[in-house]
Amino acid sequence: MKALVCVKRVIDYNVKIRVKSDKSGVETDNVKMSMNPFDEIAVEEAIRLKEKNQIQEVVILSIGTDKSQETIRSGLAMGGDRGILVKTEKDQLEPLTVGKIIKSVSDKEKPDLIILGKQAIDDDCNQTGQIVATLLEFPQATFASELKKNNDNTLEVTREVDGGLETVKINIPCVVTTDLRLNEPRYASLPNIMKAKQKKIDVLEIGSFDIDIKDRLQILEVNEPPERKPGIKVDDVDSLVEKLKNEAKVL
Amino acid sequence: MDSSVNINSEIINFKQYLLSNTDILKDILSKLEKVSTKSREAFKSALTKDNRIDNQLLEINQSKTHGFAWFDTYRIGLRETLNWFTRLNNDNKSSEIDAAVTLFAFAEYLMQMRNGIMMSQSEIVRPSDLHLDDNDFEFMNDDSVRDLLEIGLSDKIKTVIVDSLDKDIHPSLGLNDETLDMIQDQFKKFTEEEILPHANEWHLKDALIPDDVLKKMAELGVFSIAIPENYGGLGMGKVAMCVVTEELSRGFLAAGSLGTRAEIAGELIRLGGTEEQKKKYLPEIASGNILTTAVFTEPNTGSDLGSLSTRAQLQGDDYIINGNKTWITHGARSDLMTVLARTDMNQKGYKGLSMFLVEKPRGNCEKPFPMEGMSGSEIEVLGYRGMKEYEIALEDIKVSRKNLLGEQEGNGFKQLMETFESARIQTAARAVGVAQNALELSLQYAKDRSQFGKQILKFPRIFNKLAWMAMETTVARQITLFSAREKDNDARCDIEAGMAKLLAARVAWSNADSALQIHGGNGYALEYPISRVLCDSRILNIFEGAAEIQAQIIVKGLLAR
Repeated sequence: MKALVCVKRVIDYNVKIRVKSDKSGVETDNVKMSMNPFDEIAVEEAIRLKEKNQIQEVVILSIGTDKSQETIRSGLAMGGDRGILVKTEKDQLEPLTVGKIIKSVSDKEKPDLIILGKQAIDDDCNQTGQIVATLLEFPQATFASELKKNNDNTLEVTREVDGGLETVKINIPCVVTTDLRLNEPRYASLPNIMKAKQKKIDVLEIGSFDIDIKDRLQILEVNEPPERKPGIKVDDVDSLVEKLKNEAKVL
Repeated sequence: MDSSVNINSEIINFKQYLLSNTDILKDILSKLEKVSTKSREAFKSALTKDNRIDNQLLEINQSKTHGFAWFDTYRIGLRETLNWFTRLNNDNKSSEIDAAVTLFAFAEYLMQMRNGIMMSQSEIVRPSDLHLDDNDFEFMNDDSVRDLLEIGLSDKIKTVIVDSLDKDIHPSLGLNDETLDMIQDQFKKFTEEEILPHANEWHLKDALIPDDVLKKMAELGVFSIAIPENYGGLGMGKVAMCVVTEELSRGFLAAGSLGTRAEIAGELIRLGGTEEQKKKYLPEIASGNILTTAVFTEPNTGSDLGSLSTRAQLQGDDYIINGNKTWITHGARSDLMTVLARTDMNQKGYKGLSMFLVEKPRGNCEKPFPMEGMSGSEIEVLGYRGMKEYEIALEDIKVSRKNLLGEQEGNGFKQLMETFESARIQTAARAVGVAQNALELSLQYAKDRSQFGKQILKFPRIFNKLAWMAMETTVARQITLFSAREKDNDARCDIEAGMAKLLAARVAWSNADSALQIHGGNGYALEYPISRVLCDSRILNIFEGAAEIQAQIIVKGLLAR
């Protein structure tokens, strides 16, 4: 069995985001970039399946600029076997475009499991996994918090849904998107970081895919979240109730 | 740049200024080299007797010659800071804070070199002590240099540095290698998740770093960095060692120092051991199965190892070791001691010393020394906790002849000397980690704390301290990484390694002190981590060659060049 793990290079979750002065987007110059944390969980899960001998190969795919090789390399340092970079000069691609590329890579690689984060922490789209499943006509299990492989070529996936936990059984090949509580990703150890240097990353030009990468969405403006206004003190309960009713309009 | 530059105007872009004036900085460095040569030659002729440097004259002039060690440490520090910025810029990775820090370092250190360098809080070395006078610093009166000094010492440049820190943009490390970046990233994460949240608790309880944390560090490969691949290690070299050490020490000095134990023992065995000794011990040290402890110092023998009195006498095929040892770090929870002892009673100095690999059962807090003939007690200390310090007595400890390092007597001191370069570089990296920790803690405090209606970060006396910390930490880090790269390239770097250790230790202490000052009264409370960092940082000027010994080694090296 083979797993294709899709990872995205995003601004590190510890970085305080700054909006560009022209409001066209967020500042990325000299900003620390890392693997999207949900994708890291996906890499970890694939490696755990491999350690249980339920998967034979873990392939790490990223779509992005040359720098995304670093992101793939960090997945390889965790224990992935090889990498594929689909190279583009654009720093953002929309989920539909990404989904089409993943489908195309999947047609060639024929993975049994496509696993990726439920969303990326930069654009928070939460669409790619679902689009990939649709395009490939694979079954999907999103927001996975537990994953088990059965002997009959199915996966049992526990999903975090509004009402609690829901367990589904899906046929392989399939798409799984990972939620926060699925696992805690490991640190890449020094020996594995050294080993990762030898692992292969294939670089494919996005132009070699017959895919229209034109944006469907237009970003009008990006703004900082409004600053929180200071609170006020009220004299008594009556004026509190009055303010809650008339100013805050919550009563 | 013409002299009409207005440093207070908004147009100044420090990176642009630095890039168009790099030649001035290079020129300053070449001037400083000449000044340094003049001072060195003057010392040489003043201290030479019978065609060699006379030790008695050297001692009489101790403060002055040590001042020269500091002077050259500054010079090499500036050189490596400029090299760092140039490399960053060549890779399109330099940012405004990198340029600002470089300019600040040049201006500040240059002024100190002309007017007086603080070797410690109570000792200032002045140019006249170094056989230098105003003429030697005439180049500082050039318009271009005066502009640089004005810009580099301005409040404006410090504001820019601290604005950047406020946005979480610190001076670049400049590792310039994808693998090293990844190592740094992983150990930063490990430190933030597994060390930093617990460090203060371990310190306050005076506890050992827990076994499971040690196990995780072993799994990550901390103990195997310097050990060659054919003996179960990673053979990664000193730069990687510095990166890991700085990150772990940023969390807790003892965490960064655990690797030092493996490093000292590993280097001793790698360089001085027989093939059999290497095969037996190195893989076990690399995996973390064997924890080692260095047993060198004695109650009456600190910096002067030649007067060591613990003895090892051959009886049949065994040596019998007797003596008292002290400052044995991690003495209880360890499995292998590297013991320095005298095998030749007729040789009073270094020549009669030999190194032994003495296995012992691992102890714990309740039963620290479960071995017959070995006893000891804990030395309670201000900081540097997490491994515990002991004073021990060795009474008729029997070790096989096979455990004499290299199976040849009389090489102990030489074998130990060979490890000093690495140990100093690693200790410098520990100091840089502690210095960075102090900077980060006070930066956070200065952001969170408001007085007189604004963040205290906005007051010059606060942001000047923060900018200073960032600047000096950078200089110390770059001289450390430089020594490490030299070592990895098999170039001799004993002097530079000493300089790195000397400067980084002072910086760690002064950062911690300033950082505590920024915390005000809260910094004096045990619950604030900066109080621990202050205690931890104090040891760095003492262990692995006290500041005075370090300066002595540096100046002896410089005068021999």
